[in-house]
Amino acid sequence: MVTGNTEPRLPAVVRYLFPAFAGLPLGPLLTLSLRSLAGRQPRLFDRLGEHRTACYFIDPIDLAFAFTVVPDAERSIVRVVGKSEAATSSVQIRGPILTLLSLLDGTLDGDALFFSRIISISGRTAAVLALRNTIEDAELRPADLLGLRGALARLVDTGILGALDVARQMADRNSRSKAPEA
Amino acid sequence: MTSGRMELVCPAGTPATLRAAVQAGADAVYCGFRDETNARNFPGLNFSGEELAEGVRFAHDHGSKVLVAINTFARVNDVDLWKKAADTAAECGANAIIAADIAVLDHVAKNHKQVRLHLSVQAAAATPEAIGFYATSFGIRRVVLPRVLSIQEIAALNRAIEVETEAFVFGGLCVMIEGRCYLSSYATGKSPNLNGVCSPPEMVSYDDEPNSTAARLSGFTIDRYEPGEPVGYPTLCKGKFKAGGKTSYLFEDPVSLNAGGMIAGLKAAGVTALKIEGRQRGKGYVTEVVRAFRKAVDAVEQGGDAIEIDRILAGQSEGSRQTAGAYSKKWR
Amino acid sequence: MSAIALTLGPVFFHWSPDRLLDFYRRIADEAPIDRVHVGEVICGKRMPFSDSAWPEIIERLERAGKEVVLSTLAAPATVRERRSIADLCTDERLVEINDVTALPSRSGKPFVTGPFLNVYNEASARFLIQRGATTICPPVELSLAAVGAMAGACPEAEFEIFVFGRLPLALSGRCYHARIHGLHKDSCQFTCERDPDGLAVDTLDDQQFLTINGVQTLSNQVQAFCPAPADLTSRGVRRIRLSPHTCDMVEVAKTYRALADGREDPKAARFILSCLDLPGTLVDGYAHGKPGWQAAPSI
Repeated sequence: MVTGNTEPRLPAVVRYLFPAFAGLPLGPLLTLSLRSLAGRQPRLFDRLGEHRTACYFIDPIDLAFAFTVVPDAERSIVRVVGKSEAATSSVQIRGPILTLLSLLDGTLDGDALFFSRIISISGRTAAVLALRNTIEDAELRPADLLGLRGALARLVDTGILGALDVARQMADRNSRSKAPEA
Repeated sequence: MTSGRMELVCPAGTPATLRAAVQAGADAVYCGFRDETNARNFPGLNFSGEELAEGVRFAHDHGSKVLVAINTFARVNDVDLWKKAADTAAECGANAIIAADIAVLDHVAKNHKQVRLHLSVQAAAATPEAIGFYATSFGIRRVVLPRVLSIQEIAALNRAIEVETEAFVFGGLCVMIEGRCYLSSYATGKSPNLNGVCSPPEMVSYDDEPNSTAARLSGFTIDRYEPGEPVGYPTLCKGKFKAGGKTSYLFEDPVSLNAGGMIAGLKAAGVTALKIEGRQRGKGYVTEVVRAFRKAVDAVEQGGDAIEIDRILAGQSEGSRQTAGAYSKKWR
Repeated sequence: MSAIALTLGPVFFHWSPDRLLDFYRRIADEAPIDRVHVGEVICGKRMPFSDSAWPEIIERLERAGKEVVLSTLAAPATVRERRSIADLCTDERLVEINDVTALPSRSGKPFVTGPFLNVYNEASARFLIQRGATTICPPVELSLAAVGAMAGACPEAEFEIFVFGRLPLALSGRCYHARIHGLHKDSCQFTCERDPDGLAVDTLDDQQFLTINGVQTLSNQVQAFCPAPADLTSRGVRRIRLSPHTCDMVEVAKTYRALADGREDPKAARFILSCLDLPGTLVDGYAHGKPGWQAAPSI
């Protein structure tokens, strides 16, 4: 897996939200925000079907920790875990944190990222696809997932989405450079 | 057959994508229900009845049409599920139903005369006799052409039939004749005709090996990649195989269809509507492709030349190799 | 009249007129088969080669008491191919329809629907029966249970199941024999003639998988579904189809005749088939509602 050192640097706001240690508050915070999202948009989780109870191991390769997510609507659980917990999950998704976040709001195309190997996926492919299609339809902004409101929400969205633009330009460059003649 | 403006028909795998396609300039969007009645039955994709009704309202408010694909073949003893899907589509105000199975076509023709019937590409009707049969029996108004015809053949066909034709111009390319391919069920037990899926994701595995990654479907190795090399989805007909002492992409290279350069030719051949494949694609992708094709079609309608069309569509390669497929005779 | 009839399907491969004549002579004289399909189904470009052989083959088969069915092209494209279908459809013999193209010219007269025609449910079967279908051989991916369910719902027609031979899995506008030899379909040099059972396609890890035959793709494995006769008759399936290969088809026919008559049990029948010079290993997954390449462990 080639990742190189070309990733954009994490913007301050992201570093603030994801301190580089297995911070206790983050798991419960994300669990709460996912459950409250389920309260606001119940149809979202219908889209996952049987994969609601799958355990997704999400590994931002440029952070020191990873997440496991069981997106079962109001029974959702997000845990901050060590990198070694991948084995117990049904699906493993790895990639730079900004790229993973960009999948949330549909800025970047999941297929393109996967096929160009910017993110890597293993485990139950059907569950990955269900998650990807669900997120695709949800039109989430980063702040929605963090359960933030008001000024802080706007700040987070601006910070993350701004950084995502950088990521997108990179991904574009990456895929274009690999395009041979038609 | 046609003298009016060509219609741009765009994919919508989710309500968000439907709205994106409409806003990007689709004349019509096509979508399906979240079950095995449609040929893109992938996890997390497609519409509930309620979502379709909302989608139709949104599209109609913006001057676009909604075509509902109920284009798999009804399962024996379960035909009612397919009939009910057609009934729901009609109730939601869909402009047309796209169907392939005689059972579904017959049901719509008898019970929903106000809804246009389009013959799905899954019916693989490629001759005046076959299309004539569907027109006479069920009153189909349009046929989605199998991706095996050249432009010259399409022109000849249009002179010989009474119904409109719709041609794929962009996206994934089936190498086999659609609706008559059982490769997927042979390997996995699930197929487009029976289950609405080809090479289903739950049978896919990417296996890391010492110096490569193997993409397998149901245990059959479909392709193998060097570290860092872009990988592909292991669709059976796009795999690398050994035959006759050679290793090659035997059926088709990993390419996608781009007939953008043939829009003017398709118009001259009498094609009514141009279709973009990709109900499994995200709204970012759909927005970009639809926007570009909207511009290209408008430019063709205004008599734009080939260089201008090429320039408009230049950005639509998304890093993969492309082909004009069967529209160019050499493809065969 | 036996409860279960045997059909010999059309030859999918590009056999020379001599090979065809030899093959059908033996079938006429020695094979316990009730009905024999003749004619080119896969590629219209091959028709000029075999056209001259058919009259003699038909005469020979009919003289031996076989019912002859004229099979028609599965993917007609050119004017000549379409005309050949229309011509065949005027024949007084039974005709096999493999594409909807043939329906307008055959409606109202009896016909067989072949495995290339998409008949997946009782409603579409009934529609075709009303237009003249007397025998329906559904697509190979359907299970015996599904075919039986259709047969139960439509007792007025005879249902046939594909039990022997490489499975016809796909058709294309593109010729793979031409492609692999660096040629195009329009100037293909008929390289498919070199592979009378098709050309094997293996995976990168040398798993046997598929076979190409011009524009057609078949399984590499050989369908060898050997049901007990009651499994068929209890579901209303009264006809089984054998698909021709270069192996000893008379022996294959005798084995299935014995199986259908209850003189040979499924396990023994399957053993006899496995001893023949078949182009691939034996499978029967589709019949059991499983992936086509799988084989029932019980047999």
